[in-house]
Formats: sequence, C-alpha cells, structure tokens
Amino acid sequence: MTSFINIEFSNISKHYRRRIILEGVNFKLKKGQCTLLRGTNGSGKTTLLRIMAGLEKPDTGTINTGLGEIKWRSYRRALQAKIMYLHQHPYMFDASVRQNIAYALPHGYSAAERDNYIDEALHWADLEDLAGVSATTLSGGESQRVALARAWLRAPAVLLLDEPMANMDQESRLRTHTLLRQLKSEGMAIVLTSHDEIQFQALTDRQLLLKDGKITTDPRNTQAENVSAFPIGQTARHHTA
Amino acid sequence: MESLNSATIDAIRLLATGDSELWGIIAISFRVSTTAVLIAIPPSLLLAFMLANGRFPGRRLLISVFSTLLSLPAVVVGLTLYLVLSRQGPLGDLKLLFTQTAMVLGQIALCVPILVAMGHSAFQAADRRAWETARTLGASPLRALLTVMHEVRFGLFAVLLAAYGRIIAEVGASMMLGGNILNYTRNIPTAIALETSKGEFAQGIALGIVLLLLAFGLNGLLHYFQGKGRFAT
Repeated sequence: MTSFINIEFSNISKHYRRRIILEGVNFKLKKGQCTLLRGTNGSGKTTLLRIMAGLEKPDTGTINTGLGEIKWRSYRRALQAKIMYLHQHPYMFDASVRQNIAYALPHGYSAAERDNYIDEALHWADLEDLAGVSATTLSGGESQRVALARAWLRAPAVLLLDEPMANMDQESRLRTHTLLRQLKSEGMAIVLTSHDEIQFQALTDRQLLLKDGKITTDPRNTQAENVSAFPIGQTARHHTA
Repeated sequence: MESLNSATIDAIRLLATGDSELWGIIAISFRVSTTAVLIAIPPSLLLAFMLANGRFPGRRLLISVFSTLLSLPAVVVGLTLYLVLSRQGPLGDLKLLFTQTAMVLGQIALCVPILVAMGHSAFQAADRRAWETARTLGASPLRALLTVMHEVRFGLFAVLLAAYGRIIAEVGASMMLGGNILNYTRNIPTAIALETSKGEFAQGIALGIVLLLLAFGLNGLLHYFQGKGRFAT
C-alpha cells in the first residue's frame, strides 16, 4: 500500500508560562530524508518533535497536509497513525518483548499472520533470543531495538526519535544505526535529535539547528534545505486492517 | 468467655449446615455490593484517569472534592438519599426506598469517591509514556486507556478492594435505605447490627467470619497476582 501525505508545519510557537520554547518554527518533511535536529539542552528539540507527533499542542501554527491547513486537534487524529514518536528512553509495556512488538500490529489479522509478522520483526531487530523476556528488564540498547522493531512493523511515514543513542554503548549504537539506515532506505522520513552530530553523520541528509526558539539551517548541512512540502510515502509493509 | 465460645461454635455450625436465612443474607450482600461496584467502576475510573492526565478548568477543585468525600459518613449518604427517595422527596414516585435498588444507589455514592480519589493516585503513578507510546503506536483512546490500566493494574486492583471492602461492610446507608427487611434488604452488616442488639451472637459471628474471610481472600488474590510475575507471556 502506498498513500501519500504532505506535511508542512508553519509558524509553530510554544511557550511555557513566560518562557519562549519555539517561535515561528517552519518544518517540512520529505520522504526518505533523515534530518538531524541539533540544539542545546532546553532548546525545544523534544517539544518540536512532540508537537509534530501530535502529543503536544502548539500555541500557534498551522499544519498543512496537502489538503489545506487543518487544526491541531484534527491533525492529531489524522496523522497520529502515520507519524511515530520514540521517546529518549522508549517505554516498554509490562509484557514480553514479543507482546510489546505485537502491540504495533493493527487489528484484523489472523493469528497465523500476526505470528508471521511478529517473527519477521523479531528477526529484523535481532531480538529472537529475547522474545519471551519481560521487556521491562531490557537494557537501553535492547529497548531501543524493540522500539525500532515496532516502527518497522508499523511502518509509519515519519519516524521521530528523541536522542535515540543517548547513554548507549558502542555496540548498541552500531546496531541502532544499522536499523535506522534500513528504515530510511525503505522511504521513511526520519527526524532525530542529538547533541552529537558526529555519530549520525553517515545517516543524516540535513542538519537543522534549534536556537533561541528558532530553527536555522546548520552551516554544516550536507544537502540543500528549502524544499517544498514533499509527498511522504507510507511505507507500510502490511495492509492496514 | 464461655458464651463467646459457644456462640462461635454455633456460628460455624450455621455456616457449615448451609442455614438458608444466613446464606440468603450473604447472597443479598454480595449481589448489592457487586452490582454497585460494577456500575461505579467505568465512570469513576474514566474520571480518575481524566483527573490524572487531563488539563481542564475545575480539575483541582474536583480532586479536592473527591478527596474530601473519601471520609463521607455512610449515614449522611443514607440520610441524603432517604430524603431524595422518600415519598415526599423528588424521586419519591419511583418507590425505591426500602429496596435493593436504593441500597445499590447508596453504595454507589459511597464507593465512587474511593474509586475516583484512589484511582486518580494510581493513574498518577503511571508513566505518561505508556499513554503516549500506545497512541503513537496507533491505539485508539479506549485501547490506550485500557493499556494504561493494565500497566497500573495492581494499584487499580487495590483501589477496587478498598471500595468493595468499604461498601460491603457499611451499615448506615444500607439500614436507612434498605430497611433491613429479611430475605429482601437485610445484608451482612445490618444483620450483624440487628442480631447483636437482640443478644443473638451466633449469626452475627457467622456473618463476621464471612466478612473476614472475604477480606483475607481478596487480599490473598492481590498478593498472589503481584507475586505471580509482572507479566504474562
């Protein structure tokens, strides 16, 4: 299945009490593009990702999905299924790794089909040995792989990751990097935040800097910036039930 | 001491021989309290969740109100509903006074504050990422709510136990709204009160044993599930 959506966030602003977090931020998403969002602590990186994921409401701003501007509440309903947000420390439900991954699978499949998809996801993320383990006991790197396996299974158009490699050892970073590269190659638009651009250099197509609530093109960008609202292809490997 | 011993032996005999009057009272108690708690759970837990996670005007006031109502005396609930349901009251035409329905209404009024206030605390203990992760994985609001409830299930089970324990043992509202009519509205606590006032301790002790066994049983269940493991594969 391939459905296309255009997503363009314009003039996004967010204040917490009197503190300005985001002010007039514009953000466009492009299929298969990986964007690194840099900025110091408290610069609003996480807030911007959460607004894009529909988890937080901006004070001002419009969202254009190609069908005209829509209100935030409608946007949240329309796009929450197509945009997936991964917390800095992915949340693991109090269930097995297998059940955690199964959660990402839409309803409507037979038991055999579900098992098949989950087995594929476990294999993809190299989690087969941990399938029956309680997900709440996993290390940070393993939890990140479970979260990415959910993303692989759900196949959203856009994947937003908040500091995906924070506090990870070298081996876990390499594994996460490999999985992210595969998701990107499947056409998923990826936006990730990090302080450290070096570890994502090979993965990212562009870097944006968030400073004083405003977004600027990082001078170290690897690609041109001013792209229009691009069609984002949903890369679902299964038909939504 | 001797009379206490003989009353206790009589009580055990009543329980063991399946005394129909005794077991009828027990059945009414469980029927009324179970109905009340089942009706109260869905709206109470939904409100508790909204109070824990929502941001809306009057939220803090509502939390304070339900916390205050935790210590609401059963007789006050009984009196209020009595006035509402009595013949001259606004709902007098429904002729609900001295019925099991009136007892259910009284027990709902007693357990809602417990379910809301303690449920609010249980939901507050939940990691906010649970809801957000469920939603970002495509869960509907209802499925996400059920997921969060599963994450805090032991806390919610404890809330449920507290609410059930409170209403099945309350005497004030049941006495005033049910009228303590044998084989119809007489439940365990009103029967204990009546039998004790008559100096008939055996039935009171037997019913007390049932309440104690219920408390042990429910708490045993809670500990069993908590100890069984944090998840099922």
